[in-house]
Amino acid sequence: MTADYRHEADALDARLQAVIAAPQTLDDDAFLSLACAIFAHQMRWNAPYAAYARRLGFGPDRLPETVADIPAVPSAAFKEAMLSTVGDRAAIRFETSGTTQGRGGVHALETADIYDAALLAGFDAALLDDGARLRYLLLVPDAAKRPQSSLGHMMAVVAAQRGDGHTAGFIDGDTLDVDGFLAAARAAVRDAQPVCVATTAFALVALLDALDARETQIALPPGSRLMETGGFKGRTRVVSREDLYTRTAATFGLPLHAIVAEYGMTELSSQYYDSHASRTTLDRRKAWPAWLRPIIVDPRGKPLPDGIVGAIRHVDLANRSSVVAIETEDLGAIVDGELILIGRERGAELRGCSLDAEDLAARA
Amino acid sequence: MPKTSLRALSARAIVTAIADAADRWSDADFPPRVRATKTIEARTGYTTPVVEYALDRLFFSLTREALEATIVDELGSLAALDGFVERRGRPDGFARGVDRVIIVSSDTTIGVALVPAMFALCAKSSVMIKDRNDTLLSAFIDSLIEERPEFAETVIAQTWRGGDDPREAKLLGSADVVVAFGGPQALPAIRAHLHPDATFVPFGHRVSAGYLDAQAFAARDDRERRELLEGIARDALLYDGDGCLSLHALFVANLTPETGFVDALVAAFERVAVEFPPGVLDAARAAAVASRELLGTFRAAQRDEPAPSPMLDLAPPADAPPALLPRVLPIYPVGGPADVARYMEGQRLQVQALGVADPADPGARALAEAIGAVRVARLGTMQAPPLGGHHGGRPRISDFIRWIDAE
Repeated sequence: MTADYRHEADALDARLQAVIAAPQTLDDDAFLSLACAIFAHQMRWNAPYAAYARRLGFGPDRLPETVADIPAVPSAAFKEAMLSTVGDRAAIRFETSGTTQGRGGVHALETADIYDAALLAGFDAALLDDGARLRYLLLVPDAAKRPQSSLGHMMAVVAAQRGDGHTAGFIDGDTLDVDGFLAAARAAVRDAQPVCVATTAFALVALLDALDARETQIALPPGSRLMETGGFKGRTRVVSREDLYTRTAATFGLPLHAIVAEYGMTELSSQYYDSHASRTTLDRRKAWPAWLRPIIVDPRGKPLPDGIVGAIRHVDLANRSSVVAIETEDLGAIVDGELILIGRERGAELRGCSLDAEDLAARA
Repeated sequence: MPKTSLRALSARAIVTAIADAADRWSDADFPPRVRATKTIEARTGYTTPVVEYALDRLFFSLTREALEATIVDELGSLAALDGFVERRGRPDGFARGVDRVIIVSSDTTIGVALVPAMFALCAKSSVMIKDRNDTLLSAFIDSLIEERPEFAETVIAQTWRGGDDPREAKLLGSADVVVAFGGPQALPAIRAHLHPDATFVPFGHRVSAGYLDAQAFAARDDRERRELLEGIARDALLYDGDGCLSLHALFVANLTPETGFVDALVAAFERVAVEFPPGVLDAARAAAVASRELLGTFRAAQRDEPAPSPMLDLAPPADAPPALLPRVLPIYPVGGPADVARYMEGQRLQVQALGVADPADPGARALAEAIGAVRVARLGTMQAPPLGGHHGGRPRISDFIRWIDAE
């Protein structure tokens, strides 16, 4: 690693940390400026991305003029090349393992610092805006056993930084520990300690099925909330959001607004969450942090106006050491400054551990 | 369903009526066909040349000779559908059509329900067809009724909501034979409604593949090469790759730059794409195609190669199933037929057709058997199976009859 690189990367990371700490400072011009600086950095140090960008006509003499101009790699490219500014020296490597296509990719990041700062700030804004210190009951991969799981890492960081010190996980490999979950939930009730249940959608279904089979409901302490992520497209069992949330609310005594969906990808460092305004209904819309921008594009990659459905492109400044712009096959539309997620497409892959969760459902 | 009055007609009269109606529909200017063409375009998003191609293939194939030959081949004679016939070395037999046939074809391309429906009518069964709402089937039935009014009481084509519609369960439960085209979720759901004694004829999702030796290809003359290349392009581009007859993956042995195969294939795709322009894609499929095109650009940039044609997916990962994207043909370089068999087995793909340069080649036939294909066809004809062939490996009329033996 050269001194040039270190100097450049440290300067960008400092700017990013400042933005994450004070997102209100990042107006459109500042976003473009920082995005272009990160793009230029990646052109210099991320060889596979640079080759791609050059193919699309970009180079040191031609930088993007708008955020939408930044060359976006298809998310599948992460399966075919190490899209990182540090190559094999990455500190963390998240894998898109267990996908519907059967092949995994790697999102390699130089350091966890930016990633963790971004995820914490995003989680704080989405789920902890009241400053609550919750007990985390995790139905996501155990980060200690599966460090390659971005979701597991994310929740481990959140629980460690924001939890009450009694975090517990209930998924071990492909086993869902229903008894353990119930015991932990009852302990929280006894302690009058609000909890945050963090779960994949499919693990949540498995848990609800298990509790139904036992004819068990448990009203979580007031102030509790649940974050679910993932989906069902391409899975053997599809559950509508309406059914899932209705059952969840009834089983755990949660108000609808306390059930929050996260939308993320292993290839991103930042996350979308249901906007606060949309949480009282099942017609959810997504909000995003200041350092992340969705752009809805047509099949030719051209930005679409608000209200028109197209593919979602993410420009994530927190991806400083990988790729700043990623094209997905997920469909969405921007309406009133919020993202309506239409669905993940045929062939599109779910984040992280959804297949684990499906196996789990089959064996629970 | 009403009691059939077709039983008063001879099988030959029914065949003749069907062939005569099909002959009228073979005229592209026949007004009902013109109207149907428009509704099919609106439903499928396919362009006019594609719909015209499909209707030509459908109605030109329904000749009296082809219908009779298929029936005679399966049943021994046409007369067996009318009553008892002598059969050499076997008891006299009557191939009596079952009373009620339902054909469910809600997840298919153009007019796929029509051929089984016509054979069920030849068996003199009452036929109800659940089809897409493009009126093709009902319009053709109108033409049949114009030929013979007896069809009016025998065959109905209509649309209804599937899944939890109670009418569907009741209808399916009353059928003697149910032919169903659909996916892995629809077929078991349909089967669950059937009477235990009913015959279920499912046609699930399948892929079709091609195999070619690039060196052998290069040794052919110009005309043969051009025919093969344009045939491959036609098989892949028609119906935007929808349906089990479309070419979904091409395996090429000895694929070296010296053969010029890829460049020639790209040129053929460009020519055929003009003849059969792309249809309207929904947002999801359009985004998937766009993403794959970007990935192709990404791959080419890594190899410092020219940008590939968006219609070819060169050397995609060999450990994943073909992408099944509209108008995008994956090309898998292979060492030989054994690699194809390994790939198909590894991906657990159900194979409809194998397209090859020469279907008479014993090696091609062995490969078809190895990969579980139910048809081996010359490249360029994969989308035009002969009426006399089996569909999905099944007979055309035998599923609709019950033999009565007189001993």
